[in-house]
Amino acid sequence: MTYRFGYLYALILAGTIASPARSEGGSDACAAGKRLYMEKCSQCHGESGDGKGVGADFFNPRPRDFTSGAFKLRTTESGELPTGGDLAKVIRNGMPYTGMPAWPRFSDGEVADLVCFLKTLNPDFADTSVHPKTVTVPKPPAYREESARKGRAIYEENKCLDCHGSLGRGDGESAPTLKDDWGNPIRPADLTRRWTFRGGHRREDIYRTFMTGLNGTPMPSFMASVKEEDRWPLVDYVYSLSKGDDPGYASMVTAVSAKLPKDADGIREALARSKPALFPVIGQVIEGRRNFFPAANAVEVRAAYDSESVAILVSWHDMSPQTSGSNSPLASKGDSSRAPLTDAVALQIPFKAPEGNAKPYFLAGDKKNPVEFRFADLGKGEIRDFLGKGWSGLTASGAAVKADARYDSGEWSVLFLRPRRPAKGLAMDRGVFVPIAFSVWDGFSGESGEHGGVTSWYTLYLKPPEEGSPILPAAARALAALAAGAAIVFAARFRLGRPGAAALSKSHLSVDTESGDPR
Amino acid sequence: MNFWVVVPMVLALIGLRFLKPGILLWLAAWWGGCFIFLRFGILPPLPSSIIGLFMAILTAALALYGTADADKLSAIGKSLRAFLMERRFAPWLWGSLVVIPLLVGFNAYRQATSEAVAPATGRTIHPAPPSEITFRGKKIDILKASNPFRELEGKDKAAFAGHVAGGRAIYYKNCVFCHGDNMEGDGLYSHGLDPQPANFADPTTIAMLQESYLFWRIAKGGPGLPEESAPWASAMPAWEATLGEDEIWDVILFLYSFTGRKPRAQERAE
Repeated sequence: MTYRFGYLYALILAGTIASPARSEGGSDACAAGKRLYMEKCSQCHGESGDGKGVGADFFNPRPRDFTSGAFKLRTTESGELPTGGDLAKVIRNGMPYTGMPAWPRFSDGEVADLVCFLKTLNPDFADTSVHPKTVTVPKPPAYREESARKGRAIYEENKCLDCHGSLGRGDGESAPTLKDDWGNPIRPADLTRRWTFRGGHRREDIYRTFMTGLNGTPMPSFMASVKEEDRWPLVDYVYSLSKGDDPGYASMVTAVSAKLPKDADGIREALARSKPALFPVIGQVIEGRRNFFPAANAVEVRAAYDSESVAILVSWHDMSPQTSGSNSPLASKGDSSRAPLTDAVALQIPFKAPEGNAKPYFLAGDKKNPVEFRFADLGKGEIRDFLGKGWSGLTASGAAVKADARYDSGEWSVLFLRPRRPAKGLAMDRGVFVPIAFSVWDGFSGESGEHGGVTSWYTLYLKPPEEGSPILPAAARALAALAAGAAIVFAARFRLGRPGAAALSKSHLSVDTESGDPR
Repeated sequence: MNFWVVVPMVLALIGLRFLKPGILLWLAAWWGGCFIFLRFGILPPLPSSIIGLFMAILTAALALYGTADADKLSAIGKSLRAFLMERRFAPWLWGSLVVIPLLVGFNAYRQATSEAVAPATGRTIHPAPPSEITFRGKKIDILKASNPFRELEGKDKAAFAGHVAGGRAIYYKNCVFCHGDNMEGDGLYSHGLDPQPANFADPTTIAMLQESYLFWRIAKGGPGLPEESAPWASAMPAWEATLGEDEIWDVILFLYSFTGRKPRAQERAE
């Protein structure tokens, strides 16, 4: 059925749209690729391949304009067209953290058909007399710490930190000024999160990106400027900035029992003992002024508690701190002129203990199940409490208190301090799992109100303090089991081994005779 | 199911059968085999409370089987006696006397040191719909309502294709971020949602449901789920605020068209 409608649809399109590529897409393979393209790709990349499909405005980075000939991921030199294999690879693998999904379900033949069709969209592909120079990635040597250390100097020499920042968090000085070839703002990669690298996170992928650059973006090729012996050290340095190949997103943050001093420095020190949990931030793509490309892609959370309070430290990467102006969680009603906007963060927990699994709606609660919404405006440096019954139902419910918010090398960290048993709201007892969610706003990207980054519900767990070593009770259990086993064996041997034991076996036999067994 | 565990275990049981083991060993093998199957053979893993329940039933069943007739009972008595008394079983006896307490101790240690795990969110897969909803002030009977554009499929193919195309545009402006380009529930933001967005390509989702049911879930979303169908958890928004009635019917047509699934037929009202 899918096929039939896809076909029908393609026929309608073919009849109504004058495709510039029709003359070249005459071969069977390209026609098949065109059908597939119209069904699976045109909604974003546009029916004429200009990157202006019906979904295009809802993705950032925007879908590729195939007519431009500028492709990010290639094995060819800077400014050149990609090879067919390069295009196939992007279709197969997708680009992480963008709207381009991986298409593992296409057969190799279907991918080849698509590549054939894509090449009809830009006339330069047709010129077979020109062969773009390809970049060969040598076999990577084993990763070495010294190599990564040496790479730091090369990172500095080549001014990588101007865009990517000193610690690689994408917070370089020129980061806020960057634009792609079409004039859209573009963010430098956060090198501490290699799972978001569009072209892959393996060391050979990073090497290839250095050599080819990313066409259409400010990322240049370093083929000429970085000597051959410096290339792998630079790759190793960038590689060393991330903790792993995958984000290791958590579902729960564990609050450790600690002495929480009065001063923020002391509390932050106590929080350093807590294991950080990374939660993914997603765009609020549902209500009001939707946000299709939140500036933050994750928040890192640590938590600790004492008898009175729970301390929660929320940190996330932000390319530039916006501290002049103001921000608010209240729906902006389409008013984006309320500039300048500051950065902001909010912590959300259910207002009352959830019954069973019926949590409030994750976007600022709902009418039946309100949420406690603690909003920190990092310009004013204050935290204000709201009662949330949805984005349009947020009401301020308390006086503002001073926030401890710090920005360091591309990372904000904000400390929330909440009484464990407030007069109104959820009591946080030991050993109880509390739903918790976060929102982040980047003033620079115009985020405010419902136009921000959000998380779904995760769990905060107040771990009871450990009492003594677990080895002793375990050993006691083992000994008890040993004693019981030995008692059974010796009792049995004692009874069965004595002359009286014969009576026992006899009694068995007597059962047998009774049941009429001829034995 | 974890075939790397289940297949070798079944083969081992079959092999054991050929060795003609004593009844005691045979019962023990069954007990152990079932435990291994429940604990390691099923993916995702069962909660320990469920395993405990099944094992209790199994223990009772095996005890019943073993004591069902005098033959077996006496055979068990004999094997037990031989195991406890006879020299040839002595290494096994002393071995079990060492191994069992060690396992008990290890288990106790592991329980004491295990990290707490957040309780799994229960979820009613297809909660019962209300019989009637109010959509933008208009009453819609969820049990009887049908997609007003479905009939065009047979009558006016071009008009039908137009509605499907309309639904397609709506899908790629609103739904694709979570439900994905292939409608497999793996969109750009699906990694940040729990439970995962519904997979429409799966035969147990829209193929099992009536179009009016989809209308209700799209219009009212997670917040519109009835209390009596708890426990539920859903990040699905209520699209009533954004999409009109016709637009929702269009997008429903597109979901079925793209996945090649057929909606469940409306039951005839008696």
